[in-house]
Amino acid sequence: MTDITGVMTQDHRHCDEYFAEAENACLDGDWTRTEQAFERFATALEEHFGLEEGMLFPRFEEATGMTSGPTAMMRMEHQDLRAQVEEMRAAIARQDADAYSGESETLLIMMQQHNMKEENILYPMCDTRISDAAETAGTLAKRLAEAGA
Amino acid sequence: MMPAGAALGYDATPPISAPLRYFLTAPFFGMLAGLLLLISPDVLVSRWTPGALALTHLATLGFMVMVMVGALFQILPVVCGAAIPMAGRIALAVHLLLVGGTVALATGLYKMSPPILTVAAALLGMALSVFLLSAMIGLSKVGSGTGSQRDVRLALIGLGVAALLGLSLALTRAQGLPLPMFSMLQLHLGWALLGGAGLLLAATSWIVVPMFQITPSYPRAMIRFWALSCTGALTLWSISVLLEWKILSLILLGLIVALTALFLFTTLVVIGKTRRSHPDASYRLFRLGIWSLIAGLVCLLSTLVSDAPMLRILAGVLIIYGGFVSVIEAMLYKIVPFLAWLHLTQSGIKAPNVRQLQPEDGTRNQLRIHTVALVILLMAVLLGNDWLTRLAGAAIVIEFGWLFFNMHGVLSAYRKTRTDSPARRYSSAA
Repeated sequence: MTDITGVMTQDHRHCDEYFAEAENACLDGDWTRTEQAFERFATALEEHFGLEEGMLFPRFEEATGMTSGPTAMMRMEHQDLRAQVEEMRAAIARQDADAYSGESETLLIMMQQHNMKEENILYPMCDTRISDAAETAGTLAKRLAEAGA
Repeated sequence: MMPAGAALGYDATPPISAPLRYFLTAPFFGMLAGLLLLISPDVLVSRWTPGALALTHLATLGFMVMVMVGALFQILPVVCGAAIPMAGRIALAVHLLLVGGTVALATGLYKMSPPILTVAAALLGMALSVFLLSAMIGLSKVGSGTGSQRDVRLALIGLGVAALLGLSLALTRAQGLPLPMFSMLQLHLGWALLGGAGLLLAATSWIVVPMFQITPSYPRAMIRFWALSCTGALTLWSISVLLEWKILSLILLGLIVALTALFLFTTLVVIGKTRRSHPDASYRLFRLGIWSLIAGLVCLLSTLVSDAPMLRILAGVLIIYGGFVSVIEAMLYKIVPFLAWLHLTQSGIKAPNVRQLQPEDGTRNQLRIHTVALVILLMAVLLGNDWLTRLAGAAIVIEFGWLFFNMHGVLSAYRKTRTDSPARRYSSAA
């Protein structure tokens, strides 16, 4: 049985793979494939954010009483990442490879710095502070598996 | 006590000046090293010439440690959840002491001047104790964890041990302390390159390589035990060197070499599995660095069977300039544009993307100039030709000039965007 950190970290890597597929397709100059891979990435990312904002963060906030702490910051970063996803979508619509590569590189670093904080600090805190962490991990894994199916 | 999560926030991000002041000064020490080769190419005759010692410390303290300390102001909050108290002011103070100390040390070594070496020891001693103490205060408020979080701590300890050994050496030279010079030198090298720089490279690689190059993770056992084993092996080796247990120290050295090789080859395998099919210039700089470290290790091993002094100089060039400098340049081209972007975005300003802030052509040219300079320098050492050494020196001046030009370019774009867009989203973070 894996913990919250394990489940959510695994899902970050899953999103990374879709991200790489879209980047590779764009560098190959194949816009149809870029768009398909990008939309798979955007959907997976939104699913991940949705689970955090709708389930994981509220449980953490309930367990710790910290509502304006780390989770508030992570929500704010989700907003920045969503804005960045829109920039990439706009670049695909214009078929502007330079803009796509610049926005995509920016999103990657932003997203990985965000992931680092979650994987190294927030998720381990969730695992220790949420009282039914094992059950939460199980539900998250199930929901992510359903979304990926 | 500050909860660990508090360091996650925008407010905990150190001011952009904290890391940037280090990143913008470091290239000048690289240029000074190039100038030294240009002016007195005979410094490479032996690693013990005053010039060679000055050159080594311009590269290691002036460039490597300068960038590493700057990067730690950024890494500690993100990786360990530890915020350095009063990061802006501490960064300024440590920076001034480090710059002054490095200039004094390089001058003191070059002129073999006891008074200047004493000043250098005092300034560097203060710089590193203030930095390490602030880092420890930040880290003491959060749990130690495993993997990268623990390994960053081990690297800081390694850096501290290397600094203490370096200070004792400087004072031995300056004040004639009765210490075993040769043994201390060996330990200083081991702790500086592996216990400090090597461990920090590994601690960041566990996280940064899989995330930014989209590769599988390093093997779990490696993340758990590698850095700990290195620190353990270095400690036992140090004791055996000081007690002059020759056979045991040779066995432990073998273990240290094997551990280093294990990390380097694993890194090559891991980055070889990247999902990004078109590697960028930063990736290629990083890969060049790892191969160069491997070549340096081979040269070090060769010194066991050959007395040729050239081998040790080759090892130094390959490890410090070909290895660490490549890896650090690869990192700077990722981190500096991102920091500019991050700070603009946090102020609610629409930021140019990272490739607009730092066009990929700039990074590609850095890779080209660095590779050419490295090849010329290696040939200069192999052939013992002064003119080739001068040429390498000139190439190195151009290389670090180009690095400064690009890093400064990012800062200018950052300032211009800031002045042109007065909007603020998070007033507290501005």
